Amino acid sequence: MMAEEDLDIQGNPGTGQLLDIPWEVILWNDPVSLISLVVRVLRKLFSYDLAKAERLTMQVHNEGKSVVWTGDKETAAAYCVALHGYALSATIQQSQ
Amino acid sequence: MSEPFRRVPEGIALDLPSSLRIWLANMAQKTSDDAVTMEDPVHRRLLGPIDPSKDHDDPVTELQRQFAVEGSLGVLIETSNNEVLNEEQAEEWIRALQLILAATAARMAITTEDDLGRLNDAENEVVTTLQAGISLMIDALDT
Repeated sequence: MMAEEDLDIQGNPGTGQLLDIPWEVILWNDPVSLISLVVRVLRKLFSYDLAKAERLTMQVHNEGKSVVWTGDKETAAAYCVALHGYALSATIQQSQ
Repeated sequence: MSEPFRRVPEGIALDLPSSLRIWLANMAQKTSDDAVTMEDPVHRRLLGPIDPSKDHDDPVTELQRQFAVEGSLGVLIETSNNEVLNEEQAEEWIRALQLILAATAARMAITTEDDLGRLNDAENEVVTTLQAGISLMIDALDT
């Protein structure tokens, strides 16, 4: 439950609340990148095991996107930049 | 025909015809040039903002990303005539081949799986050659 002091004058979350909301790294499907490449990059960058890397990759492939990491903004941005280093389409956003 | 990328004690041996080496180096150079050309679809694809709610990244991130793109493509260009790549150079080749592939897709306006079906033979050959290169390099590196 959100305390009253955490809301601004319009009833939106205050700055302190926004800072607490984690950031997501979203990996988007692209039609030319190989599944094997995406699995390899997820394992290499995030140290995911094969099963998790494959599950996330297939989610990207079948649903168009997947949240591949959640946490603080700086780390999310660093991971996103690393994914772009392999020309993978990735963005960051605050969790909904 | 032998494997184009093969693990050897020193790293990854390259067995590529000179015409393919020249083509890859030229593609890498073109990708590097287009990536720094504002309004070019390659620039938008490779260096678009990581936070889509903003028009561009912060200056440090922008530079970091630009250096990364130029660095990977530069390694491919500089080592395109090598007989052997070390592990680090081979990893940069994977990044560079991916960057060239993504840039190629951006130039061909490939955004969906369906777009692949309308490519002509020459365009399709470029895409499949780059994909095959990435796949074979992954196989060699992870052996």
